[in-house]
Amino acid sequence: MELNYIGLTAGLTAFLGIWFGHLAVRKIDFISPSIWVPAILAFMLGFALEAAAIYSANLYVTTSLGILGMTLLWDAIEFPRQHRRVQSGRAPANPTNPRHARILAENSSATTIDWLKRNPTGHMLSADELSQMGKYSA
Amino acid sequence: MNFFGLFIGIATLLVIGLGFIWVIRSEYYLGYLWWPYFIGMGVLFILASLFVPSLWGSALVGVIGASFIWGSTEFKEQAVRAEIGWYPFNPGPKPDPPFVEAIKKLPAPHL
Repeated sequence: MELNYIGLTAGLTAFLGIWFGHLAVRKIDFISPSIWVPAILAFMLGFALEAAAIYSANLYVTTSLGILGMTLLWDAIEFPRQHRRVQSGRAPANPTNPRHARILAENSSATTIDWLKRNPTGHMLSADELSQMGKYSA
Repeated sequence: MNFFGLFIGIATLLVIGLGFIWVIRSEYYLGYLWWPYFIGMGVLFILASLFVPSLWGSALVGVIGASFIWGSTEFKEQAVRAEIGWYPFNPGPKPDPPFVEAIKKLPAPHL
């Protein structure tokens, strides 16, 4: 029986594309003074990969480019969403980034704490526990 | 012109979108300790995709498998989000997965 490697190609590309985008959006938002420049670049790159996918004759190449391009288009949307997460305090702000410094000055909910960098406890966290984690220290 | 890649890319977005829903639901009802079984399911899906003769079928099964593996790495953070109060927290008891004690000793993956 002949094995069909297109699913493996699609699965690997999807996993790596999501992983890369997940890390890159957070990292770039953290250090970039602008959120629109990386968003527009991700959009253009995603669009270019989709165009390349359409003009590629090789099945494995078109599959990888099609999936990778779509994850980049998703990343373009995630940049402004990540900016709003920083505003709301759900993602940590970087005080040395001028854009984040402005968010910290203008939004009382913004924080430098990374809330997700911890292990689950199995119970809903009380106000006391949250304040010990520094929620009200800002 | 070859639209297979573009269309499978769009299908991938839909599968990832579904991932947001099932990760939230599974963490709520089962708890994050089930993560190894979702990795296992993802690996099985990707292996199964090798034996699906149709291009669309194989690609979709592969992408669904990848989404299971990715979702398993989101469980721990989702559990923390619910405990903080960003998502509904299920106060009821959650079923222990098989080999729960061994799983507790493993670091839950997050990427």
